[in-house]
Amino acid sequence: MKSLAITAALILFFTISACTTTTVDEYRENSTSLVLASGERVVVLGRRHYADYETEPDFIDCIGDKLNADKEISVLPEREFVDLLYPWFEPRTAPLGLKRLAKMLDEPIIAQRFKEQGLHYMIWIDGSTETTDRGGSVSCAIGPGGGGCFGFTTWEKTSTYEAIIWDLQKLSESGRVKVEARGSSYMIAVILPIPIVAQVQNQACDGIGLQLRTFFIGHRSSEES
Amino acid sequence: MNLCHLMRLNFVRASLVLTGLALSACATHVDVKGNFPPALTHQLPLNTVVVFNPDFASHRFESTEGPEVSISVGQIQVELFTGLAASLFEQSSSTRTMPSDTEADLILIPSVEDVQISMPNESQLKVFEVWIKYNLQVFNSHSEPIADWIMTAYGKTPTRFLKSDTEALHQASMVALRDAGAHFITGFARVPEIQQWLRNHRPIVTASKGSADL
Repeated sequence: MKSLAITAALILFFTISACTTTTVDEYRENSTSLVLASGERVVVLGRRHYADYETEPDFIDCIGDKLNADKEISVLPEREFVDLLYPWFEPRTAPLGLKRLAKMLDEPIIAQRFKEQGLHYMIWIDGSTETTDRGGSVSCAIGPGGGGCFGFTTWEKTSTYEAIIWDLQKLSESGRVKVEARGSSYMIAVILPIPIVAQVQNQACDGIGLQLRTFFIGHRSSEES
Repeated sequence: MNLCHLMRLNFVRASLVLTGLALSACATHVDVKGNFPPALTHQLPLNTVVVFNPDFASHRFESTEGPEVSISVGQIQVELFTGLAASLFEQSSSTRTMPSDTEADLILIPSVEDVQISMPNESQLKVFEVWIKYNLQVFNSHSEPIADWIMTAYGKTPTRFLKSDTEALHQASMVALRDAGAHFITGFARVPEIQQWLRNHRPIVTASKGSADL
């Protein structure tokens, strides 16, 4: 009974400890909400041109889901957009700035494809989640009489992402959101390994997704969520 | 044949099977399969023939340095270049051998010059990388050479996205092939020798200008 209480207390302690700190900064061109007319859509894209990292596709999907949570903001899935515009949004060809995008949209077949899809805003997400620190060790052994693990390990993850909103009609930047989330995860092993994982990337997605929603439907949505 | 001899024979067979299994467990074989979307581009008013030599159509990259890796890209390359030619040219067809007499304006012969891969255990980076170097030979309707276009393609996949080496190399290969497609569509009319030929060739048109200028 006593050992059960100690185990429960340990789990509770580590669950509380495995929390994430999230910082969100935003910059807006002006205080008015971004308008999406009926049938207009937003596309969220990840930057993939860097040599050492690329923005995770599941993170892009997560932001799309956050924006589209109450069906007020229609989001065109990234994969579908990239295929529809192939080969203009591959890592080699994707526009890094608005000037290049404007030149791309001078091309009637590309502009027509944007129009057909009802695209009004493009949101670029740049960043990644990395393991920034690691310590401790867990060793496991197995023998004829059974097996088990013993030890303690901890690792820290940092998610850093920046979202930039482009207005495709005005060909201007509408705003930026930057999020940094840090969290430490633990694994304690006494016969059985018990991982207590900080959901760093999910917190970053929540932070950036909800903040991006406020650009479109004001602060109401984030308060409701 | 006595019992001892039979047991020895069975032991040798079992050892061979186990060794084979152990060796195949270390090897990575990737047969790249997938689909490519049609390219969004202006069509050049040209009739072309793409020649897929048997070497190209069944190309397999094999590496025995370190862990054994083989990547089979032949069939998917044929699908990629067939689709690209259909997107970029008004008329296109393909064949297995160089045509001696053709109505086509241009004959294209793609070949693989080199394939390189980089695995995380070699590069110490957390990515799987695939490079493919193509040589696209372009001939006119009289089979006279116009250009030798060296076209490079690159694809990478971060390790944490995937569950196995096979899956990671498959995805990196697909990214590299899509990159080859992007290079082909955006670069074809920019190759100086091809550009020169397009200028001199009568039906060529400013319609090709748009996408090529991007």
